Amino acid sequence: MNYQTVIGLEIHAELLTNSKVFCSCSAEFGGEENTRVCPRCSGMPGTLPLFNRGAAELAVKAGLALNCKINNFSAFDRKNYFYPDLPKAYQITQFFNPICEGGYVDIGSKKIRINRIHIEEDAGKLIHDEKRKISLADYNRCGVPLIEIVTEPDIRSAEEAKDFTAAVCLALKYAGVCDAKMEQGSLRCDVNISIMPEGSTVFGTRTEIKNLNSLRSIGRAIEYEYSRQKSLLERGERVIQQTLHWNDATGVTTALRSKEEAHDYRYFPEPDIPPMLITDKEIEKIAKTMPEMPTERKKRYLEMGLNDADASLLIADKPLADFYEETVKHYNNPKSVASMIIVELLRRMNDSSVSAEELKIPPCHLAQLCKMADEGTVSRGAAKDILKEMFDLGGTPMEIAEKGGMLMSNDTSAVESAADEILAANPKAVEEFKAGSAKVFGFLMGQMCRALGKSANPTIIKKVLEEKLNS
Amino acid sequence: MDLKELILTATIPQLGRGLKNKIFSSVELTSAYLERAKILNEQTNAFITIDEEYALKSAEKADELIKNGKAKPLTGIPLSVKDNICTKDIKTTCASKMLEDFTPFYDATAVSRLKKQGAVIIGKTNMDEFAMGGSSGTSCFGAVKNPYDLTRVPGGSSGGSATSVSASMCTASLGSDTGGSVRQPASFCGITGLKPTYGAVSRYGLIAFASSFDQIGTIGKTAEDCGILLNAIAGKDDLDSTCSTLPFKNCLKEINKGVKGLKVALPKEFFGDNISGGVKSALFKATETFKNMGAEILEVSLPELKYAVAAYYLISSAEAASNLSRYDGIKYGHRSEKGKTYEEIIKNSRREGFGNEVKRRIMLGNYALSSGYYEAYYNKAVKIRKKLKAQLDEIFKTCDLILTPTAPTTAYKIGSMEKNPAHMYLADICTVLANIAGLPAISTPCGYDKKGLPIGMSLMGKAFSEATLIRAATAFEIQFERREAAL
Repeated sequence: MNYQTVIGLEIHAELLTNSKVFCSCSAEFGGEENTRVCPRCSGMPGTLPLFNRGAAELAVKAGLALNCKINNFSAFDRKNYFYPDLPKAYQITQFFNPICEGGYVDIGSKKIRINRIHIEEDAGKLIHDEKRKISLADYNRCGVPLIEIVTEPDIRSAEEAKDFTAAVCLALKYAGVCDAKMEQGSLRCDVNISIMPEGSTVFGTRTEIKNLNSLRSIGRAIEYEYSRQKSLLERGERVIQQTLHWNDATGVTTALRSKEEAHDYRYFPEPDIPPMLITDKEIEKIAKTMPEMPTERKKRYLEMGLNDADASLLIADKPLADFYEETVKHYNNPKSVASMIIVELLRRMNDSSVSAEELKIPPCHLAQLCKMADEGTVSRGAAKDILKEMFDLGGTPMEIAEKGGMLMSNDTSAVESAADEILAANPKAVEEFKAGSAKVFGFLMGQMCRALGKSANPTIIKKVLEEKLNS
Repeated sequence: MDLKELILTATIPQLGRGLKNKIFSSVELTSAYLERAKILNEQTNAFITIDEEYALKSAEKADELIKNGKAKPLTGIPLSVKDNICTKDIKTTCASKMLEDFTPFYDATAVSRLKKQGAVIIGKTNMDEFAMGGSSGTSCFGAVKNPYDLTRVPGGSSGGSATSVSASMCTASLGSDTGGSVRQPASFCGITGLKPTYGAVSRYGLIAFASSFDQIGTIGKTAEDCGILLNAIAGKDDLDSTCSTLPFKNCLKEINKGVKGLKVALPKEFFGDNISGGVKSALFKATETFKNMGAEILEVSLPELKYAVAAYYLISSAEAASNLSRYDGIKYGHRSEKGKTYEEIIKNSRREGFGNEVKRRIMLGNYALSSGYYEAYYNKAVKIRKKLKAQLDEIFKTCDLILTPTAPTTAYKIGSMEKNPAHMYLADICTVLANIAGLPAISTPCGYDKKGLPIGMSLMGKAFSEATLIRAATAFEIQFERREAAL
């Protein structure tokens, strides 16, 4: 029997606030253990949480970026459970009244609906010292603001799950909500997955795979879990509702706890924080600060004449797309600039692991280079070499071209005398050309270019050579 | 001047004048109180910590302020603070084995405001463990005793604070009131206790019991003393987002206005069979006094009152269960020597660290919140809370004050209620309403029973009407002859 996978995701994204969500400690990633901690975020007796309104603004931005309804009234609740990385033994979250509801993400093939987005605090980190057989707690991450994005069970494959997560990452980055560095844990994904016989409308028993931290592991964990559940059903066994851990090294899921052992979180309204009121006016104000979202930007690039592949490639890296736009501002030839970036620049960036933010090339210089290549001031080949030097060392394209003797000469006399010499030295080729062989023209062009060097203008060479041969 | 004699009846303004006029210094005053406190603590167990060295140092600083003409109402005045209010570098135990050795490295906002005035904190007072109880008998440091009769309870949970003031071991005290914990011990100890409006005083540094009810309150020999303390500690605090952002108005400004024209409501439900005869007759006498002073007395009804105690215990225990979960023996507090895994350590630490009453409330609270019971218990209690608030709002549309007994009986024998916690819970019927609705209330003595034990009456008012409460209580106090405890 064939089975249909049904998937819902819970994405935890760290908000880009400077300070933590309920105290003024730094929310930055890393730091020496337990140095970004105060009486509040370590839950000392008598301390109280103070809500960082900046987190609400970013959560509203996330809601707007993912097409959600923003609630004028939302409130915090306590989720109670004991764990050594949770110093208060409860997590402050939004259970009954989340800040955003509804919404969707268009992944091209379909729309994945979003159930809700709520704000909550992150927990600390446990470090297990196997040698000394002890566990240590680092509370630096305690109280870092998170949003949790919960989807409807609309996802039907590993590919869709990956596409959705990638789209969410991109939207959050564009909105300036989260840096979405999955490898650092600033965006993590829980996968709820079940399978049902194809054609059925009744969902099977689901399992939840916790804390996946790359697109690849999301895909692999889903594929694995699909086969595991399928073989259980095929053997006539049941899928047990449980929470699973994905081991990236071994490629299997293992049970963390079953439904019977599931926590009863005893949610109730957080009495230490008054409900959060956001007026329509405030929402409008935030909406006005929203930058263009990736889907809109892509649409605009297509209108500018870029093909789908190039447009997708550019928008996937927001700083690169920003760089592209700056360049186009200096030289209004979108296709030429896109081609230069995608064919030449991106290759170099990938080879040497340089991000768009780290580029030594200012957009105006790249614009100049594109223009020079398009206008024939330098040859296409020379442009590549100039770009390499700009990339490695910096400098303006004109300087580099002049210094390297790469500016194309418009002096035809040198070309003419070179043509005379080469035609005289290759009588056989001339004969073949006159007999109708077009192939030999390329050979003669090559000879000319080699003799004249980088500064030679191929258009002029071609013109002179044709004239001589046809005369 | 004989300070030993003076402090037996002294109020804050009297002592303030003495200090200002250099009749005695704060060091002398503090020494006199300390001497008495040390002796009487053996009998009453009112203090968990008496910090003599710190008190005298504060007194020296206060004398300096007075010398420089920078005296404020509380400068140089010896006070005590309940041991669930954090004091920097002074142990704050909540009378629990769990926090027996806990020393905060921060002051509660209320404490830092007292310090800013140059008040002298002489020590930390005993209480029911984590403020849960009405007898001050659940302390891991032993029961507190009533200054009027050492075989009886001083009430609770701020029993140590009430005793310290009633027995003249200090001038006034900070307590905390979650369901009556300032007013009921004040009533049992024959003094005045004020629970401010929820949000009037910052809760920062008050070790949480039930966050939506908890409020720091003040205890003194007069309503005026309570008001002086409240003026010092109340007002906007950036460290507590449930604290009111409106400026707190001087609650003493109407103190001499009397009660003429005030409308005082008597809800008939507070005068039923559950209230002892002695208490009832004292209250009726007090009602007459108010009438004679020109107040208008109205009879009203609060039909939902019968659900108030149940609603209070469900919500407060739910919040307590969550608030007390942080005591796991890992970061601070009592840690069991038994157990190897995280789970074993927290189970054993909590088993050993918490007393029975605390455990009972944690279980009750978790039960009320657990899945399948949330609607039937916690949520229903929240609905009752809303309804009671609405009924009180309705009454306050036509009345200024609600007059009730503070407790159904006078102080009972130590240990007599331990076997029957539910009975003790029901005794909160007179006080929980103010906490449920977040309203201010004051208890002041209005009589003595046949055994000479004090009887208290409570006045409850609209939100932020502390000035009216103090005005009415003061008018009554002038008419009433208070008897000092014989200690």
